[in-house]
Amino acid sequence: MTEPVPAAALAAPARGRLGLGPPRSLWQLELRATLSRRRALFIKMGFPLLLVIPLAATNAPQFFAGMLLTILIAMVGTVGTGVSVTRSRGSGWLDRLAVLPIPAWRVSLEIFFAGWLVDCLQATLVFVILEIAQRPSPLVILSTWLLALATLAFSGALGLAVATLTDNAGEAMLFLAVILAPLLFLSGLFTGVPAEGVRYWVAQVLPFSYLSDGFQLVLHGNPPYGSPAAFLLAAPVFLLVSLAACAALGRPLMARGA
Amino acid sequence: MTASALLAEEVTRRYRNGRGVGPVSLRVDRGEVVSLIGPNGSGKTTLLRCLATRSRPQLGLVSWFGDPSRAAARRRLAVVFDATANADELTGRENLAFFSAARGVPSREAERVLQAAEIAEVGDDQVASYSYGMRRRLLLAEALAGDPPLLLLDEPTLGLDVSGQRWLARALKRRSQAGLATCVSTNDTQFVEQVATRVCFLVEGKVVHDAPLLDLLDSLGGTRQILLTSRETLPLERMRSVPGVQAVAATGEGATVVAQQREGLLADLLATLGDLDRSLLDLSVREPGLAECFLRITGRPLDD
Repeated sequence: MTEPVPAAALAAPARGRLGLGPPRSLWQLELRATLSRRRALFIKMGFPLLLVIPLAATNAPQFFAGMLLTILIAMVGTVGTGVSVTRSRGSGWLDRLAVLPIPAWRVSLEIFFAGWLVDCLQATLVFVILEIAQRPSPLVILSTWLLALATLAFSGALGLAVATLTDNAGEAMLFLAVILAPLLFLSGLFTGVPAEGVRYWVAQVLPFSYLSDGFQLVLHGNPPYGSPAAFLLAAPVFLLVSLAACAALGRPLMARGA
Repeated sequence: MTASALLAEEVTRRYRNGRGVGPVSLRVDRGEVVSLIGPNGSGKTTLLRCLATRSRPQLGLVSWFGDPSRAAARRRLAVVFDATANADELTGRENLAFFSAARGVPSREAERVLQAAEIAEVGDDQVASYSYGMRRRLLLAEALAGDPPLLLLDEPTLGLDVSGQRWLARALKRRSQAGLATCVSTNDTQFVEQVATRVCFLVEGKVVHDAPLLDLLDSLGGTRQILLTSRETLPLERMRSVPGVQAVAATGEGATVVAQQREGLLADLLATLGDLDRSLLDLSVREPGLAECFLRITGRPLDD
């Protein structure tokens, strides 16, 4: 039992540094924690611009620019989630969450969701620059933006999957590189997607190939497969698959280190 | 009959190196403060993690309030592990608000615990700016908020100053009086002597003794602890043969002896040293406590 305290001392809980009320759920807490790291947030938001501004301003070859921007989106999603979740395990934070009356799938989804929201903000800045510099058609920029958000979700799910296998941030980076590099290759980012065969079909089920084509369209290129309609169709599918994967990863994520 | 707050039956969880715990059976009833005591590596933390639903036992069964469901247990228990993990970027109040909301504790109640833990003044500061002791107080406040029916604490006095230890001891006693169950894993025997109702000694992953605290302390009646500090290794076997000596164990700097008090005890003990008495640096006699109980019962010192 706790000790009696004068009623006057029981003031309403003060607002946090962001001037918001107390966090009532895990995703709110995780999002606030990220937004409170001002310097890290500034760097996170700023570094993609270092890549996208020169690419957009200099009319770089669309294939290479599309490849680089897709890799950027893939790295943002995977590294952000994979490394931060691995760190959370190392610090004992996941241990604390694991004994709360919150199901593992929800813990996993909420951690993912908070990271994804920040990643979406980061990607949106990239699209703002592209819109200003390239003036693509509204349908192309909108469909590619939605696809980028879905790709971030897919990458975030990959990051979570890696976090179920690793115990430290360095190991997580290594695993991510090992998993991401072949996926990007199979998506045709380095060589283009062949017209037939296994690689063609593999590219169809990975969001990176679509996103690479989308960026090429935004940059006024002429990719062989991309179309805004396909992007609009693919984006919700990839998003739903990613959410389902994140929920399913909850149990193995919490089981590691138990 | 009401089910125990916590019942572990033949629980085993061993690591590849053979360390771990089990088979262990343990019961924590409502109103009890049960303390797990054992040297490093004796399996206290592994056992506590199984009891806290964090780890699954490889063998055996744990039930909470008569129910083996871990999900159901999590609605009725609160845990403090040894790591001071909070969202460091947020304030103490924000962290407390989250953990309280997750466990369904009203914010007013959470604020009350923050006041009692004497960290309300820094409640609106970032946790990153807290000292280690303040972080530990926050963790304990987060667990104590809402008076969970079962509270599991791993090394709760770690980093706490004297006033922090007093606050925690008072809080655990109040829990006991209110019929709430607590299980504490610690080597802080002085703290255990203040709060525990029952004590379990763990050695190499097994419970070797389980008794009410008062019975244990009563069993020490008339005994003394003698600490010898020496430059050279002391003849432990010869010392054990002295009448009245109940336990002898080597320490880093000499030996510790638990013996029944009698006339001539010290002289007899020194006589066993022979020429070694020249290497003796210090000799002190103390009232024994739980640590000496542990030595007498298990034959090994707690700081082994």
